[in-house]
Amino acid sequence: MDEKITEAASKDNYRQEPKVGVYVCHCGGNISDIIDVKAVAAALAKYPGVAVAREYAFMCSSNGQDLITKDIKELGINRTVVAACSPSLHELTFRGVLQRAGVNPYLHEHINIREQASWVHKADHDGATAKAIKLAQAGVEKVLRKDALNAIRVAAEQRVAVIGGGVAGMRAALSAAGKGLEAVIIEKAPRLGGRLLELGKMYPSGEEGPAVAKKLEDLVLAEPKITVHTGAEIDFVSGFVGNFKVNFKKPDGSSQQVKAGALVMATGYEHYKPAKGEFGYGEDGNVLTLPEFISLMKKLPAGRLEYGGREIKSLALIHCVGSRQVEGVHKPQADGKINDYCSRVCCTSALYAANQLKEKYPGVRVYDVYRDIRTYGMQHEDYYDKASKDGVLFMRHNETDQPVVVSDRTGHTVKVKDVLTWGEELEFKADLVVLVTGMMPADISLIRSQMKLPASADRFLQEVHPKLRPVELANSGVFVAGAAQYPMDVTEAMASAGTAAAKAAILLAEPDIPLEPFVAVVDEHKCTGCGLCPPECSYDGALMMTEKNGKKLAVVNPALCKGCGACVAVCPVRAINVAGWTLDQFDAMVEAIAKE
Amino acid sequence: MKVNPELIDEIKKYGAFDISACFNCGNCTAVCPLSKEDASFPRKLIRAGHVGMEEKIGSALEPWHCYYCGECSATCPREAQPGEYMMALRRYLIAKYDITGLSKIFYKTGWLQTWLALGMLAFFYWLYASYTGDFGALAGKIELAFPVYVTVALGGYVLNMYRHAVVKPLGGIKASLKPAHIYETLVHGFTQKNFNGCEETDLVRWAAHLLVMSGYVLTLLISNLHLLAPLDKHYGAFHPVSLLVWYAGFGILVGGGVMSLRRVFKSAESSKFSHPSDWLFVVTMFLIGASLLFTHYLNVAYGPGDPLLAKVYRLNIAIETVWIILIVPFTKWIHIFFRPLAVYFQHVKKEAEAGTAFSL
Repeated sequence: MDEKITEAASKDNYRQEPKVGVYVCHCGGNISDIIDVKAVAAALAKYPGVAVAREYAFMCSSNGQDLITKDIKELGINRTVVAACSPSLHELTFRGVLQRAGVNPYLHEHINIREQASWVHKADHDGATAKAIKLAQAGVEKVLRKDALNAIRVAAEQRVAVIGGGVAGMRAALSAAGKGLEAVIIEKAPRLGGRLLELGKMYPSGEEGPAVAKKLEDLVLAEPKITVHTGAEIDFVSGFVGNFKVNFKKPDGSSQQVKAGALVMATGYEHYKPAKGEFGYGEDGNVLTLPEFISLMKKLPAGRLEYGGREIKSLALIHCVGSRQVEGVHKPQADGKINDYCSRVCCTSALYAANQLKEKYPGVRVYDVYRDIRTYGMQHEDYYDKASKDGVLFMRHNETDQPVVVSDRTGHTVKVKDVLTWGEELEFKADLVVLVTGMMPADISLIRSQMKLPASADRFLQEVHPKLRPVELANSGVFVAGAAQYPMDVTEAMASAGTAAAKAAILLAEPDIPLEPFVAVVDEHKCTGCGLCPPECSYDGALMMTEKNGKKLAVVNPALCKGCGACVAVCPVRAINVAGWTLDQFDAMVEAIAKE
Repeated sequence: MKVNPELIDEIKKYGAFDISACFNCGNCTAVCPLSKEDASFPRKLIRAGHVGMEEKIGSALEPWHCYYCGECSATCPREAQPGEYMMALRRYLIAKYDITGLSKIFYKTGWLQTWLALGMLAFFYWLYASYTGDFGALAGKIELAFPVYVTVALGGYVLNMYRHAVVKPLGGIKASLKPAHIYETLVHGFTQKNFNGCEETDLVRWAAHLLVMSGYVLTLLISNLHLLAPLDKHYGAFHPVSLLVWYAGFGILVGGGVMSLRRVFKSAESSKFSHPSDWLFVVTMFLIGASLLFTHYLNVAYGPGDPLLAKVYRLNIAIETVWIILIVPFTKWIHIFFRPLAVYFQHVKKEAEAGTAFSL
């Protein structure tokens, strides 16, 4: 292992005489209205190993925190149990108190007697009090067995590798460079720009796609901190937070490796390609997808809309082609799944295209066949409004009554069972049929399988939490930017890319990255080298078998381990423990709770 | 059904300029006092216009029930002006039912309309210049043509409306002979009682309409019954005929004045959109009222021999003659006539569906 990883969950060898302080919080009545907090403090004060037990109105307030600091200073308290709210709320608060007072922050145990006792046992005050006492006692047993842990620190490359050189990739690289980081863009196409290059006028500003691509490209090329590799074919991505390695082939056939502390996945999307014969697509007739139609419109002069040498006087837009597919109605994709998600941006782009069409060719009749119009973004509704006012005739069908396109020598006849016209089957002639196709994620199966990147049911990369951690993947140090995450427009891709770059910059703000010490630790003396544990590990490379002094051993890479405990469960000799959550600690807690 | 987008383009020429903006949300139907349990009005008529259901529109009776209270237009999120659409539909239907073809020219925005206005002006001038000698008697004869013309034109309307609204959709000649239905039809004709269904009764609008209508009807009576002979007799200011003339003239001026001001200041939904034909109507009406008043004032003040009186009277007669040609296509006036008919035809349709209608 050539990466420098400092002090994995190591044991603190000097052990002071444990002196536990127990602090029971009233939570301003949330706890004390139900639980007799004085009785809890009194019971804990008598518990073996406890030096002091107190109760206070708000332990999290600065007065409450000062109480603990004072006890540490004056009574020599070196381990704490706070019985209060959920640890997700204030565990970090009290770890901070310990750290500031010179005690290892991991020698703290947070016991939840609010959600787990007072709130759920409102009618049983005595029972709630008894339960709170048991929980706090178990906490004492645990904290007595805790080791002083240290955060794992991983030396990180001060560089961001951005995979994909479209709008999101360029924006992410520029933002990262703006934060002082080096950025490397790895793009498979021969030039930067991605899907922007094929677009025409874009909402809301009316700028041309290629013009925006050119602007970004100029900024990227002028930025000395950014390196660009175009025509690059990625063949292997590996590593972990702070130490990723991206291997790719250059157009000349030579191989190159980029090392990076963080990865930004800006791999974008593919257009849905209609199946042959889907609404007449791919057959002789005039059936195009919306992207194809946009390219066509870009090339044609104003005045006469032409396709295949014939003037187009009427045009049908059919929405939701390849999106919001229905089981039993639509044919599945190659992987057996249907695209049941909404591609979000196609309604707006279709309507924006209709606006432009009406501007350039006012005489063309436009029919819009839709299931729902989802003009979700700022001002998007205006395009819908304008299309209506310009005389675009909208027809709406149910999910099970798909429109039908019948083609013959004279053109296309579109039949729609229109719910707006009380279910009447309407039909009209169209010289050109435009299929408003949706987005599918770009094929990144290679990187996804090598890195075990999580994907949603829709096959797009999936964030940890849509609200709280919207651009982070579960793999530490890997961020997602743009339409690789879900269908989004240029405006949204820009915003998402900026966020991903900012997150990467925060991660790489210090030369080494602190990680939680709660990782698996193997006791080399106990390990028999049986090899049961590595197959249980879900994090590639986190747990492997190795040989040391002729003995087979399981070893943990603390930078990759997530501390899930799957390996602990299968070890027949209790040789593996998750630091901070050891089996001994659990045994003692269970015993404390079960004791009469 | 084949979509016919030409129809909505045609209807738009009658004033529904914004109706394409409609996205079928149904707010108009939710607030419309006329909308019944089936929640179809005005929603379905708008959609029928969009997709080009010509027969459904041609046989529609609902537009005649609408008094343009404007609730729908005020509520429309797309500002598609459904109230104005109903107004346009009424104009479209009048043009469709009209056998003279004048309505079509008159209501459709375009160069024909301008020519019609100019033609009217020229005709008016020609009449004014050519009425000589005892033109009072001549005027009387010309006025005699009025009832004949109105009868023929209105007769055409009734037959066409009956054909489109009853015979075509029901596939035969049907009628209702129930006395209750006939009675209700007459009541609607005289009282316009559905107006009470509109949530906020617009008293000013109602009073202005009443003044104009009564003043106007009186004017017609005075002319057609030849009650007034201003060149022969000298009237006192409080002579019974004088009182009628004062009322008729001021009724038109005050009522018409209020309505015009509302159009200028767009104070109510129903007066927000003024079709060119509305203004032609208002201006002509004003001229009739003003010239009638002025004629009578000169007679009362200076006697029948006053030289100015003869000129003003000639002007008055000339305007009224031109007016006769225009009278038929005016929705404002024809409303009163179509509304009770619509009520009656509705009954016929219902009875036909129930199988109790009289049929041939």
